[in-house]
Amino acid sequence: MTNPVTLLIIFGIVLVLLFILFYPKTGFYWRLQQSYKTDPKILIEDILKKLYHAEDNGTKLSSDHIINSLNSSPKKILETISEMEDKELIRFKKGEIKLSETGMDYALRIIRVHRLWEKYLSEKTGFHKKDWHEIAEKMEHKLDSQQTKQLAINLGNPRFDPHGDPIPTETGEVEQLNGKPLPKFKEGAIGRIIHIEDEPEIIYKQILAEDLHIGSHIHIIEKNKKRIVFHSEGEEFILAPIVANNITISELKKEDISEKDTFRLSNLKEHEHAKIIGISRECRGEIRRRLLDLGFVMNTKIEVDLTSPMRNPRAYLVRDTSIAIRNEQAKFILIEKIKIHAETN
Amino acid sequence: MKTNKILNTSNDLRWQIGEGFHDKLTEGIYSDAATIAQNSVHKKGDAKRFRFDRSLDKIVTSKIWGFPIMILILSVVLWLTIIGANYPSGLLADLLIGEIYPWLKGIGESLGFSWWLSGFLFDGVYLALAWVIAVMLPPMAIFFPLFTLLEDFGYLPRVAFNLDHLLKKSGAHGKQALTMSMGFGCNAAGVIATRIIDSPRERLIAIITNNFSLCNGRWPTQILIASIFIGALVPENFAGAVSTLAVIAIALLGIFFTFIVSLFLSKTMLKGEVSSFTLELPPYRPPRFWKTIYTSLIDRTLIVLWRACIFAAPAGAVIWLISNVSIGDSNIANWMILHMDGFGLLLGLNGVILLAYIVAIPANEIVIPTILMLTVMSAAITGVGEGNGVMFELESVPATGDILKAGGWTLLTAINLMLFSLLHNPCSTTIYTIYKETKSVKWTTIASILPIILGFTVCFIVTQVWRILA
Amino acid sequence: MQKPTNSACEGCDLNQASNLKKLGINIDNNDYVVALAGNPNTGKSTVFNALTGLKQHTGNWPGKTVTRAEGGYNFNNNKYKIVDLPGTYSLLSTSQDEEVARNFILFGKPDVTIIVVDASRLERNLNLVLQILEITNKAVLCLNLMDEATRLDIEIDDRTLARDLGIPVVPTSARSKEGIPELLKTVHQVATGEIICKPHRIKNVPKNINNAIEKLRLEIEATYPNVPNSRWIALRLLDGDERIIEAVKTGEFITE
Ligand SMILES: Nc1nc2c(ncn2[C@@H]2O[C@H](COP(=O)(O)OP(=O)(O)OP(=O)(O)O)[C@@H](O)[C@H]2O)c(=O)[nH]1
Ligand SMILES: [Mg+2]
Repeated sequence: MTNPVTLLIIFGIVLVLLFILFYPKTGFYWRLQQSYKTDPKILIEDILKKLYHAEDNGTKLSSDHIINSLNSSPKKILETISEMEDKELIRFKKGEIKLSETGMDYALRIIRVHRLWEKYLSEKTGFHKKDWHEIAEKMEHKLDSQQTKQLAINLGNPRFDPHGDPIPTETGEVEQLNGKPLPKFKEGAIGRIIHIEDEPEIIYKQILAEDLHIGSHIHIIEKNKKRIVFHSEGEEFILAPIVANNITISELKKEDISEKDTFRLSNLKEHEHAKIIGISRECRGEIRRRLLDLGFVMNTKIEVDLTSPMRNPRAYLVRDTSIAIRNEQAKFILIEKIKIHAETN
Repeated sequence: MKTNKILNTSNDLRWQIGEGFHDKLTEGIYSDAATIAQNSVHKKGDAKRFRFDRSLDKIVTSKIWGFPIMILILSVVLWLTIIGANYPSGLLADLLIGEIYPWLKGIGESLGFSWWLSGFLFDGVYLALAWVIAVMLPPMAIFFPLFTLLEDFGYLPRVAFNLDHLLKKSGAHGKQALTMSMGFGCNAAGVIATRIIDSPRERLIAIITNNFSLCNGRWPTQILIASIFIGALVPENFAGAVSTLAVIAIALLGIFFTFIVSLFLSKTMLKGEVSSFTLELPPYRPPRFWKTIYTSLIDRTLIVLWRACIFAAPAGAVIWLISNVSIGDSNIANWMILHMDGFGLLLGLNGVILLAYIVAIPANEIVIPTILMLTVMSAAITGVGEGNGVMFELESVPATGDILKAGGWTLLTAINLMLFSLLHNPCSTTIYTIYKETKSVKWTTIASILPIILGFTVCFIVTQVWRILA
Repeated sequence: MQKPTNSACEGCDLNQASNLKKLGINIDNNDYVVALAGNPNTGKSTVFNALTGLKQHTGNWPGKTVTRAEGGYNFNNNKYKIVDLPGTYSLLSTSQDEEVARNFILFGKPDVTIIVVDASRLERNLNLVLQILEITNKAVLCLNLMDEATRLDIEIDDRTLARDLGIPVVPTSARSKEGIPELLKTVHQVATGEIICKPHRIKNVPKNINNAIEKLRLEIEATYPNVPNSRWIALRLLDGDERIIEAVKTGEFITE
């Protein structure tokens, strides 16, 4: 019989090899697969998008900017740019690149697919927010106009993507957002989050970690060069201005909002009573419908019934029934605490 | 076209109404419902939830008692099954194999059956059936009713509630706890039950991992081997308790593998985020004891047994055939055992066990009789067994142990067999059900192969480590 | 799963005394099709077993039944085919786990739909009831689990309820077979048209949505004049239900 130690070592080596080959994303096999596909079409479309966003922000782009911001070889990018000029997608104006009319149309089409696909991911799939952008980046190059149209119809021709960005229509119209970045507001201002920018990724991840929701009301408490403090849904948030800059707020007048104290259901303590005010817009698709169907609708009385051994999920008493949901979903249900005086038996 | 006009209008209107359609509609319906209910429902006093229900729920989902109670209930059910099944199993074996078998053989002889027909029918088909009935009926007749009582009482949703967090951590759905529970009865039923999971990704995870819930065809194997090899390590008074513990350990290991494999799948092939979990916790309902026992005996037990018999009969025939048809100078069975022995020993098993698992793909229930028969044949133990390809149940557990030991079995072989019985391909019915539910050859293949790879790996490591230590 | 066998009902004549004859799975040549719908865990399968004498699995947790099961019974010389469905919370969702039930209620064209509800949680159950009443004119409310409601000191005025909903209401305790004879009789009366239902239609719909529904409904009726539940179709189209969009394209629901 072979020595067991030798056998185990051989086994270990095989395991390590498989690991190196197939480790998700960075595995050798996947990289090899990846290196096969760099499509000139994708590069063109990526450049168009860059230009569109730049024009939208009012910044100017030269070829150098583009070379620095995309990770393809400079040679290839320059070739592509001149090809795009030949096709009259772009024009040069004093060293600065501008989109032509056709280029603009093309760019809007790509952006439409991108945002529709993010909407699709948010409504119909279980992918996490942080992955939407990356997946949509791939899909935007793949869908033709017929498929895009079908997708839009299936989603009910949405007007905004899940980040609050307007989705260009088929004819290339884009709605304007009438809000300003969070740091532009003064202390004491009250507003509603209408958009959260998902690029760059580092900042988006920080915002995600804070767990802010589109559609929630915020109240700015403190603002200075170092930080902005605000309240939303019964919780306090502290952000650096650079992070806050990626959150767009539309201001609300004091009269527009009732002076109710809104909390998240996940914050409800045992023995407290509450009434449901609504479900956050951040909660979408199937799960939103399921919660509504289960009776988590406006003005329903609710209290905590049971807490599982690991504190999540919890069961709530809604319309005489105990329904268990995870804290991740309870967070989206907005409540107002109510007092019940005589504790009934 | 006219229909297109309708669709266009509806698209325009949808655009105008905006996002809140579903919300507003549901709110509307619920407010109608509230009005109607108010008119006709009169609640006297405050009957929120029954006091008893609530206090019980507080305990079974509490931080301290939640998990221990789950394990305790599982243990009690298993213990009752193991202890309770022993005696009737022996009786049935005496009757079916000790009495009826010789009688049938006699009839065959008097009718002038040729040796191969009598062998095929009585030694193959009949003995396989007899074994399945003797070994499976008693534990099932105890396990199923107990389980059904728990189910009717309303305990299962609480298990799902308690386990959800762990399942979520491994990328699975909380309701997988329910489908796992169904799998403890029968994996095919467990696979169908996964329909309650509405996220396709998590449903696939639940389907693939359902095999790690020991199904009722595998409980008897676990119980028998644990009694022979592990119960025998301790004084007789503790034997029952220790073998029960061993079986519980395997069952818990299965649950552990469910978590690990779910995690693995959700990080690799079935990447994606956990979806949501919503579960209504129904009130406890005192089950109607006798009625439950009666129905679960009649339908569940007998139907599952029927299925087992259908598969056992042809398998019995196959066993008899491969040990009587020869190629070259030995029969097929011997030839296969010889060729698989090397690989088997590497895994701490042997060729006999591997061949038995191939023969037993249709039904896990017949693994042990096949192993016994093949062991006798290949080791040519004289004085036991009836001849080539004759399946038999030995009257006593120690006698079965003697045969296995004579066939070269050690404690290590026994442990590995228990592990392998947990970690091997699903039975053919389950595989077919998986295909029907997923409609995908790819996932069916993965669900069938993955557990075997895992089984080989685990047995291999256990064996080699054991050898280093021993 | 359960295939209908060919043997006709041989013993029917012998059974005149009791009006009910359980046919088990002999469900050929039925006169009427009855669907059992309702929220999960309200006792649909228990009612099914009481009617057919079959042993459909029941269990005290939502989601026990996941596939549809069929059985039959004989009442007053009429053969009924009855279909046990998985529980659903709503017909408005598009979730996969509720698809079987949703499709049968919408497209299976049952002659009568028995809606089984939990009497001790009537309000939340009415959500589905009101939705079903938008679709069909022939329904019976089976107010099940009455024993539990009584234990919890809940009283239900079934006459008022029947009046408000516009369909007959039968209180039952399916597990002890209480109220089952009345249920059979009522189903029979609804099936044969002896009782005409005037189902409640959802009222509390916001103005703008209601306007949209009406507009679309008129268009649907212009194209398909014989559609009985155009309002429901309009509602689902506005919600973007792909299954209904498909059905509108093919005209699937018009064959009445
Ligand atoms: N006390 C009481 N219990 C009942 C009655 N009817 C049903 N039950 C119990 O309620 C539980 C649920 O019954 P099922 O018939 O499985 O419910 P279902 O509606 O088919 O459930 P799903 O298939 O999950 O949708 C079972 O434990 C039944 O024994 C009744 O009238 N009284
Ligand atoms: Mg059922």
